[in-house]
Amino acid sequence: MNWGATIRTVLLCATLVVLHYTLRPLLAWRASADFLIIALLLAAVRVRPGVAAIIGFIIGLATDSLALGAFGAGALAMTLIGFSWSKLKAVFFADHVLLNGFFLFLGKWAYEVVMNVVERRMQGAELLMQILVWSSLSAFVTAVAGVLALMALRPVLDTRAA
Amino acid sequence: MARAARFSNRLDLVLFAGCVLLSLVSMVLPPDLREPVASVLRRSLVAPLVRLQQGAERWRGAYLSAQREELRRDTLALAASRVPTLESENERLRQMLGLGSKLQWGFIPAEALSGRGRIEDFTITLSAGSKAGIGERSLVVAPEGVVGVVQTVDPSMSLAILFAHPDFRVSAMSADGSAFGIVQPHIAGSSTPPQSTFLQSERWLLELRGVPFRSSLKPGTVVYSSGLGGIYPRGIPVGIVLGEIKTAEAWARTYLLRPSVNPAEITAVMVLTPKRGTSALTNVWADISSVDSASRRIVVAGDSLARQAASAEAAARRAAIDSALRASGVVPPGDSAAVRAESVSVTIPGAPAIPRSPTTAPTTARPRDSTSGARRPRPDSARRDTTARARP
Repeated sequence: MNWGATIRTVLLCATLVVLHYTLRPLLAWRASADFLIIALLLAAVRVRPGVAAIIGFIIGLATDSLALGAFGAGALAMTLIGFSWSKLKAVFFADHVLLNGFFLFLGKWAYEVVMNVVERRMQGAELLMQILVWSSLSAFVTAVAGVLALMALRPVLDTRAA
Repeated sequence: MARAARFSNRLDLVLFAGCVLLSLVSMVLPPDLREPVASVLRRSLVAPLVRLQQGAERWRGAYLSAQREELRRDTLALAASRVPTLESENERLRQMLGLGSKLQWGFIPAEALSGRGRIEDFTITLSAGSKAGIGERSLVVAPEGVVGVVQTVDPSMSLAILFAHPDFRVSAMSADGSAFGIVQPHIAGSSTPPQSTFLQSERWLLELRGVPFRSSLKPGTVVYSSGLGGIYPRGIPVGIVLGEIKTAEAWARTYLLRPSVNPAEITAVMVLTPKRGTSALTNVWADISSVDSASRRIVVAGDSLARQAASAEAAARRAAIDSALRASGVVPPGDSAAVRAESVSVTIPGAPAIPRSPTTAPTTARPRDSTSGARRPRPDSARRDTTARARP
């Protein structure tokens, strides 16, 4: 285990989590970037699938604690995403920026779908509109933000050592 | 090695399954069990993040508040910048209302739209036409005075020429009626000396031409329409005398006038219907009536003072002559005493009343005699009257 890379990854994930709770409320966009998803991706591709599932579960449960209407849904979605990314990293070589962007889009969109379905706040056409339009838009913004973050942090991150 | 890898995979699956199971359990937990778990998370792991989020939202709130404040200031500044315009428009409309109430009938309010082209500088489009009762050669006036005359009429709109139009003419006079002439636009070359520089702004000035040479007008004198031309009735302000200008016409004076109406303020006008244009416009523009009445009052007051002074002087002279005659023992002629007594009774209170003779009473009672004497007081008038009346 490369402790230096681990610490850097932890610090970057912590930074992204802080950004999620500071930059996101500041921007207050209708479809905003999800920095928690980006942080989970960063962590998931560097750890074993089981650990990635635990990280996803913790992040999701922490998010759920602020939204009691769907307590557990976020944890479930994040667990699935973390485990999947970590598994996919073993299948694909995940050091490609655009591939990471695609995974981010897919992960965020899946998270939105799970949350919207489990929360049961919307139904019918409204749910469809939310999933197809707003969730897709939010996933796209997250993917763009993630790709930008990965490109900026590439000198700092060393995926081969993880 | 393979066993270790299989173990790791199984461990990953077990962890994953455990996380999924816990997530599902969390989802189906009853609210009284779910809340303590969420509360623990909120107080420990999420608490610093929530504080961060609160700080960010406070910043955003402050930013939005500042932006709102800036917008509010901008709105207020915008509203404040519009106040003078609204005030002037309000003042203008009030003046129009005042003119309407003075005209009482026979007028059509219209909006004046200025011409767009260079040629149309002296033409305005009115938002009312023949449907509203406007006819050709209807007068266009403003609260300040003459604006122009309607030239073309359509059902819903009409075109009028302004006072600065080359075809515009109006017969005019001074307020006291001492000078008459024709007002026309001040066009370069017609009356301006060749050496003078003709400014574009001077094009909006007017000229009062054909004023008799004996009539002199001071700067500031208001010139009104005289009603002699047959189009404009008497008493509408046309302009104010700025000064005399030299022209080739040696037999008459020409004065430069500033128009009563500022062309930039011609936004709303009144169009007088043909009937109203031919009827009297007394007391509509208060200036001319007040000036006329004031001048009349001054003349009347001057006359009465002169009359009073002449009467007093004549009576004193008569009294002195009579007393001198009595002192010398000469009896004055019979009827002269009656005339004297009348004169004295008029001018000197407390004089003894002397009965009048029936022949002289109607003669002396005529007001024309006394006023004619008072108008032109002469040193021998008293004696002549006295002697004339003393004769049978």
